[in-house]
Amino acid sequence: MGTLLNVVVFLPLVGALVAAMLPKGEANQHRTWALVVSLAVFFVSLGLWFGFDPSRGAPEFQFETNVPWIASLGIGYHVGLDGVALLLVMLTTALAPVVILSAWKEIEDRPKEFYIALLFLETAMIGTFAALDLALFYVFYEAILIPMYLLIGVWGSENRVYATVKFFLYTFAASVLMLVAILYVYVNAGRTFDYVTARNTLQVTPAVGALLFGAFALAFAVKVPMFPLHTWLPDAHTEAPTAGSVILAGVLLKMGTFGFFRYAMPLFPEAALRYRGLIAGLAVFGIAYGALMSLVQKDMKRLVAYSSVSHLGFVMLGMMALTAEGLTGSVYQMLNHGVSTGGLFLIVGMLKERRHTRLISDYGGIAKQVPWLATLFVVVTMSSVGLPGTNGFVGEFLILSGTWLSRLPSAGLFAALGATGVVLGAVYMLTLVQKVYFGPNHNPANRHIPDLSVREAFVLAPVIVAIVAMGLAPQPMLQIAKPSVDRLMARMTAAEQRLREAAPTLRPLVGTEPAAIAFARPPAVPAPAVPAPAHGDAPAHGSH
Amino acid sequence: MPSGQDIAALLPFLLLVLGALVLMLSEVFLRSGGRGYQSGLTIAFAAAAALAVPFAPQQVLFGGQAVSDGFAGFVTMVVCAGLALSALLGRGWLETRNMERGEYYALALFGASGMVLLGMATDLLLAFIAIEVMSLAVYSLAAYPRRGQRPPEAAFKYFILGSFASAILLYGSALYYGATGSTLLSAMRGGGGALLAAGLSLILVGLAFKVAAVPFHAWTPDVYEGAPTPATAFMAAGVKAAAFAFLTRGVLAMVAGTPFAVGNELGGVLGLLAVLTMVVGNLFALPQRNVKRMLAYSSIAQAGYLLVGVIAASRPESRAQGTSAVLVYLAAYAVTVIGAFSVLAVMEKREPTPDAGSADAWDVSRFAGLASRRPWLAFAMAIFMLSLAGVPPTAGFVAKLSVFQAAAGAKAWGLVVVGVLTSIMGVYYYLRVVVAMYMQPAEMEEPAAAPPTVAIAIAVAALLVVVVGFSPEPLTAWARAALLRM
Repeated sequence: MGTLLNVVVFLPLVGALVAAMLPKGEANQHRTWALVVSLAVFFVSLGLWFGFDPSRGAPEFQFETNVPWIASLGIGYHVGLDGVALLLVMLTTALAPVVILSAWKEIEDRPKEFYIALLFLETAMIGTFAALDLALFYVFYEAILIPMYLLIGVWGSENRVYATVKFFLYTFAASVLMLVAILYVYVNAGRTFDYVTARNTLQVTPAVGALLFGAFALAFAVKVPMFPLHTWLPDAHTEAPTAGSVILAGVLLKMGTFGFFRYAMPLFPEAALRYRGLIAGLAVFGIAYGALMSLVQKDMKRLVAYSSVSHLGFVMLGMMALTAEGLTGSVYQMLNHGVSTGGLFLIVGMLKERRHTRLISDYGGIAKQVPWLATLFVVVTMSSVGLPGTNGFVGEFLILSGTWLSRLPSAGLFAALGATGVVLGAVYMLTLVQKVYFGPNHNPANRHIPDLSVREAFVLAPVIVAIVAMGLAPQPMLQIAKPSVDRLMARMTAAEQRLREAAPTLRPLVGTEPAAIAFARPPAVPAPAVPAPAHGDAPAHGSH
Repeated sequence: MPSGQDIAALLPFLLLVLGALVLMLSEVFLRSGGRGYQSGLTIAFAAAAALAVPFAPQQVLFGGQAVSDGFAGFVTMVVCAGLALSALLGRGWLETRNMERGEYYALALFGASGMVLLGMATDLLLAFIAIEVMSLAVYSLAAYPRRGQRPPEAAFKYFILGSFASAILLYGSALYYGATGSTLLSAMRGGGGALLAAGLSLILVGLAFKVAAVPFHAWTPDVYEGAPTPATAFMAAGVKAAAFAFLTRGVLAMVAGTPFAVGNELGGVLGLLAVLTMVVGNLFALPQRNVKRMLAYSSIAQAGYLLVGVIAASRPESRAQGTSAVLVYLAAYAVTVIGAFSVLAVMEKREPTPDAGSADAWDVSRFAGLASRRPWLAFAMAIFMLSLAGVPPTAGFVAKLSVFQAAAGAKAWGLVVVGVLTSIMGVYYYLRVVVAMYMQPAEMEEPAAAPPTVAIAIAVAALLVVVVGFSPEPLTAWARAALLRM
C-alpha cells in the first residue's frame, strides 16, 4: 500500500524530469505532457481515497513507508497519511490539472520552465502533507519556496520581483527557527527525527515547550498567514500569475494550518493550550481585518487575497476552539477555501486574460457579454460567502458553532466577532459581483469580451462540482477527517489532564461547554474534574 | 628509512608532488602548440591521488608527526576533487586568455600536495611546512596572469598578510615547544600554564587567518577578487578544507589534552569567532553587487558555519557528529563554490584587459536575463546559489543541516540560532543573482559560450550538488566513517 503514496509523491517529479528533456520550442508538448502527468497523479491518488480506512480501529497513518534516507544523520524517509493529510493531498492532486489547464493560454513565455516548476511544486506539496519525519517535512516544506519563487518572479506581473523576494524572505526567515526547534526535538526525543516517535517520547519543560511551540507556530503563522504576519500575501497573490495564485491560495496556505494541526499542537499540546487564546484572538482579528481590507480594495486579486486572510482566520479560530465541531469545521474549511478561492482566482485570471487589467473600476455590467462567466462567478461567490447548500456554509457553520460551544474564555465573543466576518464577507463579495458584472456597461472595451471557452469550462467544471457536492454531501469527507480530529482531541484532553494534575483548580479547557448546549447553567454546580469525552460521537457531524 | 607501508600511506601526497614535477619539466620540452594535455595530466594525477586514498593504510607516520587516517583521506579526496574541477576550469579560462602554461598546473599540484599534507599533519612543524608549501603555491597562482594591476596586487597583499600570519603561527609553535618540549599536538596532554595558553592562542590566530575567520578576514575580498578566477575557486575550496582539517585536529587535541578547562575557554573563544564570522561575513556580503566579491564574503560566512561544526566536534557528546559535519560541509562547499566560480568565469568581462574597468567585470547586471539566453548555465548557477544559501534539496542544505544538528547535539543553541538567522541574510544576497538571471531583462551583450572543459566542470559540480541534495547518505556515511586517529 505504501507504494501508491510514493508514486503519488514522486510521479510529478519524474514528469518534470522527462519534461526537461522535451524540446524547448514545442510549447504544446509541454502543456499536454504536464496535463497528462497531473491527471495521472490525480487518478493514482484516487486509489488513496478509496483505499483509506477511516474506521475507528484503523491505524492512524496509512500507506506508510519507513526506510532510512540519511541514516548517518538519523533522517528517515517516513511517509504516510492520516485523514486530514489525505484530504489535502486530494485537494492538491485535484487542483494541479485544473491549474495546468488554466495556464494554457496565459503562459506564452518559457512554457517549458513553467510546467517543470509546477510539477516540481506538486511533488513538494504532496510530500509536505505526506511526510512523517520532521527533517523530511522540513525539506519538502522549504523545497516549495524555489518553484513558487520562480512562478511569481518570472511569470508574474509588474511588481513581481519585489513580491517574490518578500515572499521568499518572509517564509524562509520564519521557518529557519522551526529548524532549530526541530533540532531541539531531535536531541530531546532520543535522537530521532521521526514524528510518531518524537510525539510519544518528547518531554519538555513548560518554558522550553512554549519556545518550541512559538518557533513552529511562527513558521506556520507566516504561511497561513495570520495577522500581523500576512503582509507578504497580498503582494504575492496580486503579482503571481493565475496558476501561482491558485496554488498559493489553494494549497500553500493550507500548509500553515496543516502545520498547526499536525505538528505545533500535537507535539506541544500544553503550550498550545496556554496560547490558544492569543492565537484565537489573532485569528478573529484577522477575520475582521481581512474582511475590512477586502471592502476597500480596487484590485480584484488583492481583494480575493485579503479575503483569504479572513477565511484562514476562520480555520485558525475553529482549530483553537478545541471542540470536535470546531476542528472538523476547520479541516473542512481548509478544503473549502482551496476550492472557492481557487475558483475566484481562476475566474479573475480569465477576466484579466481578456482585458489585461485587475482593477474593478475597469469592469462593470459585463454579465451581458459573459453570461456563463458571470453565472459561475456568482456560484463561486456564494460558496465563498457560505451560502447554505454550498461547501462554505458547512465549514463556517461548524467553526462558528464549535467556537460558540467551546471553552475558550469568552467563547461567545469570539464566535460573535467571527460571525461579523461572514456578514462582511457577503458585503465585499456581493459588492464585487455587482461592480464587475452588473450595472451599466460604460466602457467600450468591455463590449466585446468573449465568454467562457470550452477549455475554460473544463477548468471551472471541477470547481463547481466540488462546491455543490461538498455542500450537499459533506459526510464522506468529514468521515475521513474524523479519526484525525478525534485523535487530536484526545491528545489535547490528555494534556489538559496533565496540567490539571499540576494545578487541580484549572477550569476545563478542551471540548464543549455542556451548559451552553442546554441553555441552563446552574451556577452552583462546579465543573466536573474530568470532562466527559465530548468528542466521542462528535454530535455536530452532518448537523447542517 | 621509510617502509613500504609508509610510502603507501603517503602515496596520494607523493603522486601530487610527482605530477607537479612532471608538469614543470614537461614545460621545458614543449612547444607552445602542444599544451592541451596539461590540464588532462593534472586531472589524471588528481584522480590517481584520490584513487590511492582507499588503499592507503591507516597509520602513524614520521614518528607521530602525521597520520593517514580516514579524516585525512576525506580531506585528500576533497582537495583532489577541487584540484580536478579547478583544472578543468583553468584549462578553458587560461586558453581563452592565451595563458595556458604548465607552471599553472604545476603550482596547483604543489598547492594541493601541501593541502593534503596539512590534512594529515599532527605536528606543528610539519603543519607549518605544509602551510607554507600550500600558501607559496597559492600566492603564485594569485599572481599568475601578471597582466594588469589586480593580480599582482592581490598576490602581494595575500603574501604579506599570509607571511605575517605564518610568522604568528611559528611564534606560537615556538612558545608551544617551550611549554611542552615538543611540537607534536599530542604533547599537549598534561601540559598547562600561561606559556602554553599563549602559544595556543597565537597558533589559533594563525589558523584563523588561513580559514578567513573574522576578525582575521580582511585579506579575503581583495585576494579573491584580484586572483584569476580558477585560482580563486581552487583557493576557496582547497585552502579552506586543509586549514579546517588542521584546525579541527588542533582543537580536538586541545580538548583531549590540556587541563585548563579548554572546553569552556576554548569554546568561548571559538564561539565568539564563529558568531563574528557568521554575522560580519553575511553582513558585508549583503551590499555587494560584484558577484566575485560577494562570493568572497560568502566564503567568510561559510567559515563561520564550519567553525560551528568545529565547536560541536570539540564537545565529547557530539564529537563524531561534529567532525563528520565539518567534513560534509567542506565537501559540499568545495563543489558548490567551484561551480559558482566556474559560471562566474564564463560570465566575467574579458576585454580589453583583465583589469580595465574591472569594477563591473563581475557585476551582477552581467547576469541579467541569463536564463533566457543560456538556460542551463543559469540553472546551474541557480543551483549553486541555492546550495550556498542552504535551501533544500541541495548539498548546501545537507551541509548546514548536519552542522546545526551537531551543534544541537552539543546543546550550543545560541550558535544554532545565530547560524540560522544569519543564513536568512545569505538568502537575500544569493537570490540577487537568481533574480538577475531569471527575472530581469537582458541588457548586456550576448555572453560568450562556455569553453567545453568549463562546461564539463559546471555540469559535474551541479550534478554533484543536486545528487547529494537528494541522496546524501553516501557522503554523510563516508564522513561519519572517516574517523580521526590522533
